[in-house]
Amino acid sequence: MGVTPIRPGELAGVPLGRRPAEPIIEIDHVSQVFKTSSRRDHTALSNISLSVEEGAFVSILGPSGCGKSTLLYIVGGFVSPTSGTAKMKGKPITGPGTDRGPVFQEFALFPWKSVLGNVMYGPLQQGMNSAKAEARALELIAMVGLTGFEKFYPKELSGGMKQRVALARTLAYGPEVLLMDEPFGALDAHTRTRLQNDLLEIWERDRKTVLFVTHSVEEAVFLSDKVVMMSRSPGRIREVIDIDLPRPRRREELLLDPRYQNYIVEIERMFDDSGDNELPS
Amino acid sequence: MITTRTTNEWLLGAAPIVLVLLLWQGLVSFGYAPATLLPPPVQVFLRMGQQLASATFQQDIAATLFRLFAGFAIAVVLGVSIGIAAAVSPPVNAVVRPIVRVLAPLPKVALYPAFLLLLGFNHESKIMLVAADALFPILLSTYYGATIVEQKLIWSALAAGTPPRDVLWKVVLPAAMPSILTGCRIGLVISCIVVFLAEMITSTDGLGHVLVTAARTFQAVDMFVPLITISLLGLILNGLLQGLRAYLLRGFPSV
Ligand SMILES: Nc1ncnc2c1ncn2[C@@H]1O[C@H](COP(=O)(O)OP(=O)(O)OP(=O)(O)O)[C@@H](O)[C@H]1O
Ligand SMILES: [Mg+2]
Repeated sequence: MGVTPIRPGELAGVPLGRRPAEPIIEIDHVSQVFKTSSRRDHTALSNISLSVEEGAFVSILGPSGCGKSTLLYIVGGFVSPTSGTAKMKGKPITGPGTDRGPVFQEFALFPWKSVLGNVMYGPLQQGMNSAKAEARALELIAMVGLTGFEKFYPKELSGGMKQRVALARTLAYGPEVLLMDEPFGALDAHTRTRLQNDLLEIWERDRKTVLFVTHSVEEAVFLSDKVVMMSRSPGRIREVIDIDLPRPRRREELLLDPRYQNYIVEIERMFDDSGDNELPS
Repeated sequence: MITTRTTNEWLLGAAPIVLVLLLWQGLVSFGYAPATLLPPPVQVFLRMGQQLASATFQQDIAATLFRLFAGFAIAVVLGVSIGIAAAVSPPVNAVVRPIVRVLAPLPKVALYPAFLLLLGFNHESKIMLVAADALFPILLSTYYGATIVEQKLIWSALAAGTPPRDVLWKVVLPAAMPSILTGCRIGLVISCIVVFLAEMITSTDGLGHVLVTAARTFQAVDMFVPLITISLLGLILNGLLQGLRAYLLRGFPSV
């Protein structure tokens, strides 16, 4: 019904969504081969092509080890691909930049800085004076609902709070694309749900482009405009599925929506059919 | 609750020291050791009180402290900078690694005669020996701390707009701080030992020299005074370093 599978071969450079928007990220025939300690080459990504439109929320779903993180790191400029190119707004990505903001599963907050210090870090690096940077940081801390915790150190926060700080720290320097690698993977179900709702609310406000890696089919369908399904050995794109659900999305409504349920069932069935034994759960 | 716990810890920590003093007193009181060789603790502490008020003894303490601080400071500066450089730069690592492997296990005191010939009998040779001995624990723990810095901290900083050349100061150094301070703590204890040792071997002043002079003239009481003084100095310095550590690492888990 709403599911429109597209062959990976057709993807390169082709705008995929309904809205004819500019691609902000273009991944063009990217492969990544790692030299492992056993001296055997390991292909983590094989000939990946994908374009992401500006303002889209795109989730990457796939079994463990299929190269989702690697793909995100390539877009982040933290890792350079063995072959192929990744482009941001038409320019080849050669390294990290403030236009692409990562949020990691492990939070990666600076333990020697307070919440305020962490969130102020980016604005200060951009040459903002400390008064302005602080004002900006306070604004973002409020946005993620942590007002009152400015002086706390990361070790004094719960996992969910740490991830909120990490999100605020990244948003503070105003990236155009958010690169989120299983950001809610380490959280309990309840916290995870709340953070999904909050993320969606924040996203619906300014519609930043988001590349979101997850293991959860429900999370991917709930959040995304588009779900990219990857498969393992070697890491390839299996399907790209447009999620045609109305926005703003509300969980209570979606849970009762047969289209939402359909997407989840369809995607889970595809994983069952695939050669990958491991379910993305 | 927290206060009672720390008080308890204090008591637990003080107990063995009190026990040693009691044992000491016991050995003297029950005649196991003649008072001329092992003076009773009370006598030693009284003598120490007198000595602390005397100008010459104060000068000896000052000389020892100066050498200790100078040597330790050199070790910290060199150890931290070489350790960090070796961790982030493969060429530096290639050069430093074999040198450290050869020099670290070497008993530095064996180099002391050479230092004396090179630098003379004054402060310099002793400072050099202290620095040489305290350097390696600081260097090695700095190196270790800098190599295990989480990659994603560095990535986060780079993505936030940190110039790559600043990552060293803004991420690697603060992230390695717990290991660096652990190295400093070991280095400080070694500095206390080595400065005393150097002064015992060849010196005209300092606490180690006071001990040797007293020993040569069989003045047992005067022998114990510098010994206890250096222990107390070590205790105070360690306490100060702990305070600094607690402040610098206030954000890190479990300090
Ligand atoms: N630095 C590296 N050196 C060697 N192999 C690597 C390296 N990084 C990743 N790999 C390999 O590449 C493959 C893809 O890794 P990646 O972390 O991208 O997977 P993933 O899809 O994110 O998995 P998960 O869902 O478990 O996070 C894995 O098989 C992994 O072993
Ligand atoms: Mg991963």
